[in-house]
Amino acid sequence: MSAQEINNASVLEALAAEFGELIINSDEPYGFLTIEIPAEKNTAIIQWLKEHPTIKMNFLTDLCGVHFPDNKGKEIGVVYHLHSWTNNFRMRIKCFVAAATPEVPTLITLFDAANWMERETFDFYGIQFVGHPDLRRILNMDEMDYHPLLKQYALEDETRDDKDDRFFGR
Amino acid sequence: MSQLDTHNHGNFVSTETIDGEIATLNLGPTHPATHGVFQNVMKVDGERILSSEPTIGYIHRAFEKLAERRPYNQITPITDRLNYCSSPINNMGWHMTVEKLAGIHVPKKVDYMRVIIMELARISDHLVCNSVIGVDTGALTGFTYVFQEREKIYEMFEEVCGARLTTNIGRIGGFEREFSPVFFSKLKKFLKEFPGKYQEFDDLLTRNRIFMDRVIGAGPITPEKAIGYGFTGPNLRAAGVDYDVRVMNPYSSYEDFDFTIPIGKDGDTYDRFIVRQEEIKQSFYIIQQPLDAMPEGLFHACTCFLPSCQGRGIQQHGSLNLSL
Repeated sequence: MSAQEINNASVLEALAAEFGELIINSDEPYGFLTIEIPAEKNTAIIQWLKEHPTIKMNFLTDLCGVHFPDNKGKEIGVVYHLHSWTNNFRMRIKCFVAAATPEVPTLITLFDAANWMERETFDFYGIQFVGHPDLRRILNMDEMDYHPLLKQYALEDETRDDKDDRFFGR
Repeated sequence: MSQLDTHNHGNFVSTETIDGEIATLNLGPTHPATHGVFQNVMKVDGERILSSEPTIGYIHRAFEKLAERRPYNQITPITDRLNYCSSPINNMGWHMTVEKLAGIHVPKKVDYMRVIIMELARISDHLVCNSVIGVDTGALTGFTYVFQEREKIYEMFEEVCGARLTTNIGRIGGFEREFSPVFFSKLKKFLKEFPGKYQEFDDLLTRNRIFMDRVIGAGPITPEKAIGYGFTGPNLRAAGVDYDVRVMNPYSSYEDFDFTIPIGKDGDTYDRFIVRQEEIKQSFYIIQQPLDAMPEGLFHACTCFLPSCQGRGIQQHGSLNLSL
């Protein structure tokens, strides 16, 4: 595979050839290759992408959490954005876990950048990054006893009637 | 001389000390020189820092939560606060993300208008950053010089959108109106006068022996480490990596314009300063191009509204990622 051939189809094909069933599904929203993988395989797959001789996903652009309360058994997700600078190719990797056991292996061995981003994701979504050496809250105070970006925490007090949505365009 | 090893993901740990006495120093959380609430618990041996444990502070303002219940156009003012020194770039990043999501194609003219605004914002942000490093190293004068120039840029923003700092500039799909003649006259005046002022500031710091002594060799980082830590923007380029989103993945018609990407060599504070100084020049050079070649046409897209998506803009501190 030469540098010119790195595109959504070729990367997906290479992934499917290497990992087969582990690529749960794939999509290309707005031309952006997105795959879903099992959470426990994230390190192996991302390491493969990083160390692949031609794909070379050398940069962890972003790592964040998502919460879909209605997605039973797969409520909590972690989304990784990888970027290959040599091929100027970007892709998104998602993995989902159950809210009861939100455990995802850490990426710290691959990217130093994962350290603080995983702390942030833990802080806001309560995702346990297994193997992280220093998984403490990073932006909220240590005494906080909940993870504020989970959907069960509403932004505003639902019982208030002095805020009429009509006046706020929603 | 202590031997410094870097392990534990960048925490500096010393293996030996000068006189065997290590003190713990609590710097912050409100130390005035840190520009923001930042706490550092450091182990020091004399004047040498052996290890440091930073607490970046309780600075999260729950933008994601706020955005959960708002229509897209009400989220723009929130993006102002992502970096209040260059709100317009954050606004544009947001507009472009929503446009991508909604499949809106903006006219060329909008792209060019945006580039002018974004590069003005980059100049003002870099001026703050570079003059403040002067203040931190003991030279207040340059700061007062360039703040006058920043003021002029803010006056132009005011002319376009009515606000100065938290601009909420433009709309999803373009701008709410044309740039006024007053804006253009202010911009032309700025373009004429700025190089002199910039030179005055540059003369004060860039080759100043005291300044150089204080920043050269301070906080260097290797390209490999910078990439591993996810650096983007001038801090990455100072380490010698010629990565710039405006060139790598051009947006807002950046491919139409001619400019150079300055890079550093050692990734230290001096290189970061120099890269920003040079980027100010490049931004200045970019602004004239869309101004001279401003296309005819509408200043907004014709949208009838409105589906996940990710857009990206380079912000003066690095790339800005918005996931929607």
